[in-house]
Amino acid sequence: MEGVLWYVLTGTRGGANRVRLIRALDERPRNANQLAEALDLDYKTVRHHLDVLMDNSIIESSGDDYGAVYLLTEQARQHWDTVEKIMEQVE
Amino acid sequence: MSLWLDVARVATALNVLLLLGLGYVWLRNYMQFRSKHTLGLSVFALLLLGENAVALYVYSWDEVLSVWFATAVPPEAWHAMLALHVLEFFALSFLLWATWD
Repeated sequence: MEGVLWYVLTGTRGGANRVRLIRALDERPRNANQLAEALDLDYKTVRHHLDVLMDNSIIESSGDDYGAVYLLTEQARQHWDTVEKIMEQVE
Repeated sequence: MSLWLDVARVATALNVLLLLGLGYVWLRNYMQFRSKHTLGLSVFALLLLGENAVALYVYSWDEVLSVWFATAVPPEAWHAMLALHVLEFFALSFLLWATWD
């Protein structure tokens, strides 16, 4: 999981924005629309990053419906020190 | 005979382009994250970029070696060289595909 976090968040083009998404979801679970608004990102961009984060078991969705709320997975919580180390550098 | 040399030139030139893409993403991230992980990826991209730039130079512009590769290297040797360049091209393509996310 640690290697996945480092690569997905710091090794890829969209890593910095995904760090911002995780930070927002750590504050409180939200849906894609709320995330796009809070981070001033395009809705489609947010959707793409959410899919990547779900693919890598960093976040999970509360349901399949349109307004589904996203939250951090237990796995991500277990490696939260790694996430914090990465987040320190962004903004 | 020079067909092999042309393929080698194209393959190394494409590798240079792919590595510029990877290096762009990783160096930009290193500026932002300053982590050992991003440093490792950046150095990897730069060194492999160097390798392919040297190969392209040797095949295309070096006054002695480019002539030698064009005339004196037998096809059997080219097959082996091309296998290396083309495999590297596919390896880098997949890495860029995953990294451009």
